[in-house]
Amino acid sequence: MEPANHEPRRRRPRQRTGEGGRRLHSAGSAIVVSLVGLALGVLLNAPGLHKSATIQPQGWKRNVALGVTGPLASVSDTLLLDRPRRALKAALGRSHDDDVDTAVATTSKPPPTRAPAGPPKRTKFTPQHKLGLYIAGDSLVIVPGESLLRATAGNRAIAPDPIDGRIATGLERPDVYNWFTRIEQVMRKDKPRAVVLMFGGNDDHNFMTGVPEGREVGTFGSPSWRAEYRRRVATVMDTITRSGGYLVWIGLPISRDSEQTLRFDVMNSIAQTEAAKRPGRVAYLDTYFFFAGDNGGYTQYVEDPTGKLVKMRADDGIHFERPAGDLIAAKVLDKLEERYDLTSWRKRR
Amino acid sequence: MLFPTATFAIFFMLVLPLSWLLQPRGERWRPFIIAASFVFYGAWDWRFCFLLAFSIVWNHLLAVGIHRSGAPRHRKVLLVTALVGNLGLLGYFKYYDFFVTSTHNLFALVGVDVPLETRSIVLPVGISFFTFMGIAYVVDVYRRDFVPVGLGTFAAYLSFFPHLVAGPIVRPGELIPQLSTPRDPRYVDTSRAFFLIGTGLFMKVVIANHLATHIVDEVFGAPNQHSSLEVLVGIYAYAVQIYSDFFGYTNIAIGIALLLGFAFPQNFDAPYSATSITDFWRRWHMTLSRWLRDYLYIPLGGNRKGTLVTYRNLMLTMLIGGLWHGAGWTFVVWGGIHGTALVTERWWRGRPGFVERPWTTGRRAWHRFVTFQVVCFAWIFFRADSFDDAWSIIHRLFTAWGESSPLVTVGVLAAIAVGIGSQYLPRRLPLALMARFSRLPVPAQATVLAVGLLVIHAMGPEGVAPFIYFRF
Repeated sequence: MEPANHEPRRRRPRQRTGEGGRRLHSAGSAIVVSLVGLALGVLLNAPGLHKSATIQPQGWKRNVALGVTGPLASVSDTLLLDRPRRALKAALGRSHDDDVDTAVATTSKPPPTRAPAGPPKRTKFTPQHKLGLYIAGDSLVIVPGESLLRATAGNRAIAPDPIDGRIATGLERPDVYNWFTRIEQVMRKDKPRAVVLMFGGNDDHNFMTGVPEGREVGTFGSPSWRAEYRRRVATVMDTITRSGGYLVWIGLPISRDSEQTLRFDVMNSIAQTEAAKRPGRVAYLDTYFFFAGDNGGYTQYVEDPTGKLVKMRADDGIHFERPAGDLIAAKVLDKLEERYDLTSWRKRR
Repeated sequence: MLFPTATFAIFFMLVLPLSWLLQPRGERWRPFIIAASFVFYGAWDWRFCFLLAFSIVWNHLLAVGIHRSGAPRHRKVLLVTALVGNLGLLGYFKYYDFFVTSTHNLFALVGVDVPLETRSIVLPVGISFFTFMGIAYVVDVYRRDFVPVGLGTFAAYLSFFPHLVAGPIVRPGELIPQLSTPRDPRYVDTSRAFFLIGTGLFMKVVIANHLATHIVDEVFGAPNQHSSLEVLVGIYAYAVQIYSDFFGYTNIAIGIALLLGFAFPQNFDAPYSATSITDFWRRWHMTLSRWLRDYLYIPLGGNRKGTLVTYRNLMLTMLIGGLWHGAGWTFVVWGGIHGTALVTERWWRGRPGFVERPWTTGRRAWHRFVTFQVVCFAWIFFRADSFDDAWSIIHRLFTAWGESSPLVTVGVLAAIAVGIGSQYLPRRLPLALMARFSRLPVPAQATVLAVGLLVIHAMGPEGVAPFIYFRF
């Protein structure tokens, strides 16, 4: 059946040029140029590739990548081939892109855990005296963060920063992105009085970086793992509260993967108990049942009060769709309203 | 497996020499390239390899059945069976939940509860593309435009990894003859291939990613937090982002295929320099436009059954084209805007006494400007998560002038300028660059490539966002 579709056999033209007079080359030349170009490109970009290898998830791929890019980075450094990249990065104002920072600021003793005598005083904010709002976390925070920005757009007493949501990051791997440094910098520089965080979506693994020397961290959920993760959550909370910020920590939602939900429970319980130690300064928002179906399990679609079927969760079974973000944002605003007076300025007008 | 990753680079550096080594022996090359393509596809989710395999076997068997059958009625039954299978597969994976929620919500308006359940189906990457190619094959065989090939050749056609996940949508007549004949290893258009891969990587990794992270995501995420100027620039930035993203992907795909010895059709031709929406669709996602014309618009009757039917056909084609992009009503509206524009242009040109005036520089510039505004307006619905979001964008576009616009930076404006400006470059410029590159000695070519990789990798952000068209 095939011959009907065969290209007719023609004599090859002698001319080895294509459109615009470009010279055609042999397949061997294509392979050599590709291989040599790629090899040289790898050497020129070795510092960046080594960082990419370092921040990969734990496993054989990371080990192989580190085994290859480590020596390449050394060779590149020795031959000064990494200098053009460094110069280019410096010119772009991104000199530290290739650095790996695993420092987890150590907390001294946790702040006093005594409960305040009464409800905390509600601080009042107005368009003249705005509440700085910082929203940060892994990719899960982006959709609720956008909803929060939209929900607060009409309130001139709130001045939110752009959402600081970073994909594939968390508290387990400061080498991927160092949230401890980042949050400390934001609190020192911008001094937001309200902070909304969501972490943990990428933290359900055995491997942690930035572990203090001499300390061993066992498998995910083990007592040593919990102790180290608790230290990190507490560090973040204390960094914020010591700077005068009020923190709303959004708990992880139920996930389509029931085993992942169980892992999320571990991190949720840590965040929840740490928040409980800081009453009036940290609020924990439990999102678990917002997105549970009639049987208490995961559901992607939920009926709203009008009977309309609404898609709450993305197709990956973890991330949020816009209506879910709106629901979380409304609850976060309730928490902020409990702590701050954000609306009475309207009534005076 | 994404093109701009180390994993793909390693994969391709293994496939490229092996493919050329095996090329002279088609019976060995075909299993090899099919296996490589399944590895490439299975890197996303190995379970979907069964889906791809099913699509191959289904379309092959029915195409052979159609070809062997002499009875017109029998041929038609087989064709309909093939179409039902293809569209059923696409419908189930892509549109089932959309259908259920739309039906449920429609009946909910009148207080009727429809007992249909959603299934949270995961969309297999590339299904829209390989389904359309499968349909094209069967229909071409039915029309006797094409004689079915062996299962191995057809499997190589449908699964060939450079086009597998996001096109271009290559017609059977364009690729299958190439797959059936050993490629000549003496004449490979390497300079064009490297140029396409380099420009594709730059447009995706640098331009599209920069615009997405520096303005588009923020503006479309919370439009009411941004000034009118930011919203306006954000819309233009999205127009450039989606072009750079898809144009970049297509360039890489075409370049990779060229290095393997295969020519793919062009998919873009400076679409933002179009002087009308009709012209835009001759330049944007050209292989999809062709597919919609040949396998939808013309079978519907095309322009052969009178003016009103032509308008209907144009509108239907664009509405279905919109829905092809995504299971959502915003995509249908996007298609509707384009359909309305196409119908309007056709009506305008079809008026009695209409005479096409010659182009002047000013007239051409005005037409390009207006066309670009219409295209950008439609992009609002394409990008927005919901109609509320789209209206919010449009509302904000007119109501927040004079507010500060920190997102409108030199970097953002420069990226937009590069994205649009590149479409106005004289065609001889890339040809001259490729010709000059092709005359360089091999070490110099490799050095140029390496420097290109350095610039793209250093300028790009950490990590690579998936291509926008992967979700379609």
